[in-house]
Amino acid sequence: MSYPLAQLCLLPLLLSPLSPGAPISPAEPISQAYSLALYMQKNTSTLLQTYLQYQGSPFSDPGFSAPELQLSSLPPAVVSFKTWHALDDGERLSHAQGAFLALTQHLQLVGDDQRDLNPGSPMLLAQLGAARLRAQGLLGNMAAIMTALGLPIPPEEDTLGVVPFGASAFERKCRGYVVTREYGHWTDRAVRDLALLKAKYPG
Amino acid sequence: MRFEWEVLQNENPEPMALFSVFQTTFLLALLSLRTYQSEVLSEPLPWAPESLKVFINSTHQCLHLQWSVHNLAHHQELKMVFQIEISRIKTSNVIWVENYSTTVKWNQVLHWSWESKLPLECAKHFIRMRSAEDDAKTPEQSFWSNWSSWEEVDVQNSLGHDPLFVFPKDKLVEEGSNVTICYVSRSPQSNISCYLEGVQMQGEQLEPNVTVFNLNHVAFIRETGTNIYCKGDQGDSIKGIVLFVSKVLEEPKEFSCETQDLTTLNCTWDPGSDTGLLKQLSQSYTLFESFSGKKTLCKHKSWCSWEVAPESQEMYNFTLTAENYLRKRSVHLLFNLTHRVHPMAPFSVLFTDVSTTNATMTWKVHSTGNYYTLLCQVKLYGEGEVTQHNVSVEVDGEQLFSGLEPDTEYRAQVRCANANHFWKWSEWTHQNFTTAEAAPSEAPDVWRNVKSVQGHSVVTLFWKPLSKLQANGKILFYNIVIENLDRSSSSKFLSIPAPANGTELNLDQCSYQIHVTAHNSVGTSPASVIIVSGDPGNKEVEEERVKGTEDGFSLSWKPQPGNVTGYIVEWCDRPRGPLCDLQWKSVGPTTTSTVVSSDAFRPGVQYNFRIYGISTERVPYLLEKKTGYSQELAPSDNPQVVMSNLTSRSFTLSWKDYSIESQPSFIQGYHVYLKSKAGQCHSGSEKAVLSDDAVCCKYKIDNPKQKTFVVENLQPESFYEFLVTPYSSVGEGPHGAFTKVTTPDEYSPILIRVILPMVFCILLIMIICYLKSQWMKEKCYPDIPDPYKSSVLSLIKSKENPRLTIMNIKDCVPDSIEVLNKQEGTRKSLTETESSKPTYLYLLPTEESYSGPGPCICFENFTYNQAASDSASCGHVPVAPKAPPSQLALLTSPENLLKALEENYMNSLGEIPAGETSLNYVSQLASAMTGDKFSLPTNPPEPALCSEYKMQMAIPLGLASPPSSGSSSLSSFTLLDEGEHYH
Repeated sequence: MSYPLAQLCLLPLLLSPLSPGAPISPAEPISQAYSLALYMQKNTSTLLQTYLQYQGSPFSDPGFSAPELQLSSLPPAVVSFKTWHALDDGERLSHAQGAFLALTQHLQLVGDDQRDLNPGSPMLLAQLGAARLRAQGLLGNMAAIMTALGLPIPPEEDTLGVVPFGASAFERKCRGYVVTREYGHWTDRAVRDLALLKAKYPG
Repeated sequence: MRFEWEVLQNENPEPMALFSVFQTTFLLALLSLRTYQSEVLSEPLPWAPESLKVFINSTHQCLHLQWSVHNLAHHQELKMVFQIEISRIKTSNVIWVENYSTTVKWNQVLHWSWESKLPLECAKHFIRMRSAEDDAKTPEQSFWSNWSSWEEVDVQNSLGHDPLFVFPKDKLVEEGSNVTICYVSRSPQSNISCYLEGVQMQGEQLEPNVTVFNLNHVAFIRETGTNIYCKGDQGDSIKGIVLFVSKVLEEPKEFSCETQDLTTLNCTWDPGSDTGLLKQLSQSYTLFESFSGKKTLCKHKSWCSWEVAPESQEMYNFTLTAENYLRKRSVHLLFNLTHRVHPMAPFSVLFTDVSTTNATMTWKVHSTGNYYTLLCQVKLYGEGEVTQHNVSVEVDGEQLFSGLEPDTEYRAQVRCANANHFWKWSEWTHQNFTTAEAAPSEAPDVWRNVKSVQGHSVVTLFWKPLSKLQANGKILFYNIVIENLDRSSSSKFLSIPAPANGTELNLDQCSYQIHVTAHNSVGTSPASVIIVSGDPGNKEVEEERVKGTEDGFSLSWKPQPGNVTGYIVEWCDRPRGPLCDLQWKSVGPTTTSTVVSSDAFRPGVQYNFRIYGISTERVPYLLEKKTGYSQELAPSDNPQVVMSNLTSRSFTLSWKDYSIESQPSFIQGYHVYLKSKAGQCHSGSEKAVLSDDAVCCKYKIDNPKQKTFVVENLQPESFYEFLVTPYSSVGEGPHGAFTKVTTPDEYSPILIRVILPMVFCILLIMIICYLKSQWMKEKCYPDIPDPYKSSVLSLIKSKENPRLTIMNIKDCVPDSIEVLNKQEGTRKSLTETESSKPTYLYLLPTEESYSGPGPCICFENFTYNQAASDSASCGHVPVAPKAPPSQLALLTSPENLLKALEENYMNSLGEIPAGETSLNYVSQLASAMTGDKFSLPTNPPEPALCSEYKMQMAIPLGLASPPSSGSSSLSSFTLLDEGEHYH
């Protein structure tokens, strides 16, 4: 149900940066990005719970949380309010852009990992795939905002590099946990970023 | 000296303190011996291991050793033994010593592997080795080379800087095996706990920063592995491993190879239970054939195909190997290819020359080489029978079936196998065929039912459809030939299309012979002959009762002395239905009993069986009648009882309409229940307690045909209830509603006997009176004579006296009465109540209305004529009826008339109360005859003319001074009409 809906939402978002005669006003891409971010926000906790449910103990234990687990290749979303508030629009968009770029690559990696570790769980694989698609959609939308605002679009980077392939099964499970968790955190932060922008550029 | 010490270490790596003194002594002795030996063999062995290298395989926890032996001559082969020592943590802690024997060639690099139970990352390992010549003559390798130097294996150095590590990573083990796990902590102050699926594990400290956990008999939890993780209590991030536990790989079972076409071998096996591992970790199957040396990796888990070599290799030796990371299992199979031929199912199964009883079946088999003969098995199914034939076939098979039934569908199937070396039958190939039709083999079973209707015989012929075996094809029609036996010239022919099973014939009273034949497309059945006699011959045969069972009715009859060609038992399946569904059963002449059973038989239904004998002339005649129930049921209905002859002492019950034949069992009699308040039962009855605990008297009637009963010995004016219910061997009818009756009292019949005749008599008298009413009237109520019609008138006329005429009313001059003195009296009050008129009554026309003198004086006074007033009828003058009509004749003489008047007058006077009223009576007549007021006319004709009169005069005593005056009497004559009295 939600998957085709997401596809429908994403279609104009993916196409918008490609169209040559993009609108000068940033309000429309901001609004679209905001709507998508809100929609993503609704599904992030489901993705995390589904992911943990398939990994076995301790991940599937009730109330599992391991905030100390981090990935060096994935920028953390947690930021102090002061720091976040001090950022200008371009910096915020740039941070989010970088994070979601890393997230799309990591979600792909986690999807591959889970295809090995949990081949019998198509629901989890589908949710990971949908999350990656949405992250890409949000990336495209943020690029449109940056174009509209006249900001430089940061180049795409290979955030993963060659590092992750030797990871053990447990490390891959942890990695997937961090990615799905950070995907939620970054989505929350993107909603806040875009809400601020939306207030600045009302349609 | 170092050398010796090392030897010592080797010999006794862990010396015990308890024996230290003895050891020291022993060591000293040994040392001296060794010193001596070294002195003897001053040169070290030339084949010491050199260039020892250690390779680490962390994943498999393996150490691979590689070394070489120098100084071997070219092409020299030397059997050598290498002693390898492995220490853990420190060199002194030797954990493994192994002698590795091998043949060493010149310039050969030697390999040896060792698998550590402890993950290599958990501790440092040290390895060294020495060699000796492996000489059978000197089993004790006394001449070891020097030890190589210790090779250190330290994986921990390359781990990185994480605070915590857990090993081994992603280890794959079999279920039930023992696993050693360790963690390496880089922060010694942290307290680390480790968990297996959420359960904390207890470990042993190996080193200050390394703790080891020994897991024994690990269990399979899930396909995706078992999580084991550790975490410190100082906010360290969790670290863990996934232990993949596999179920033990089973040896493939039922490994077998066969070929269908000698070009491809198909090998199958049962892989056994699943190992429960992810697909990428599960086992693979390899097929290896040793004669050809070919090998193939099987794509499937339970079968594999193998191309047969074109060079017609006959023998095959297969090895099937199942292998996963942990285990390798192999099975072998050696066979000759021609012994494993599983032919393909035959094809092109055809039937030729299919006749009524024979058919030929042909089929083809797939070629499996020119020199193979196949054995084929043919099975024929038909009519519940199976026949089997074995046929040897090279290319085409053929089988003749004989003795078949006509018009029958058969199912033939064939399968083949290698005739020389039987391996397996092929699959069956099926084909159906149907034999040709033949003429029906049996005459239809015919029976008849004869009814006489208005001098004709209505013969209903029935026949049973021929069975499939008898019909030999589809019956199309039945032919019926009716021959008149009395007039042989005439015969009749009928053709009835199938599937009719009967027909109705209208015949006269002659005897007929009827032939019935059944026809199919091929021919005619034999004829069934039955004779319908002109004489129905339904002699009276006594009916006998039979007892049915669930299996039917067992009937038997007396054998007939004469020639009998058979017997027929006839009955109706539905005797109560409009169509009785006539059934019959034919038995042979020697049979005198049979069991009749039918699915239509129902409990509680009476079935009648008639047994006929068939004479040699084919004439059936009734022998016996039987009747019975397949199961008797208790009567369901009570008779409708009519009560009659009710007297004070008895009444009669009758139920003539009750039919005992249509009851669900043989009625044996009746029970009459009588309830009374007295509760006493007279002789002939017994007390019975009903289901509702009511007590009553029960009379028993043993004869089912007795349908009346007189209940006697009753009490008059008593209340009774009765019930009549039939009974049979299985019980009696329902105890339904009782009929209530009250006996009358004893005397009413007598009274009726008296009153009825009386009423009759009265009625008779009344009728007579009515019929003789004229006479009665004449006797009792004679007509009042009409003056005009009276005989007096004619008498007068006959005397021809013209002066005498009949007085008219209008000719009457009424008198006036003047009331002079009125006194209270009973009469007055009566008058007042009856009329509001004044007491002074103007009764008749006054003087003014007087029209002249009349011949008649008339007056009336209601007041003084009580009788007239009360009766209100002038005609009801009491005098008149009492005067016989004959008296009229007496009046014709004046003397008689006067006399009669005087009598009346005197009577009237006697009725008047004296001294009540003073009346002044003025007679109109008198006034007209002045001077002659009181003089009585000597010949007054008028009174004689009034045939009816009324005496209404009341004369006060005072005025009646001349009481003897006849004029006053004369003036009281009146001729008023009845209606005018009321004016």
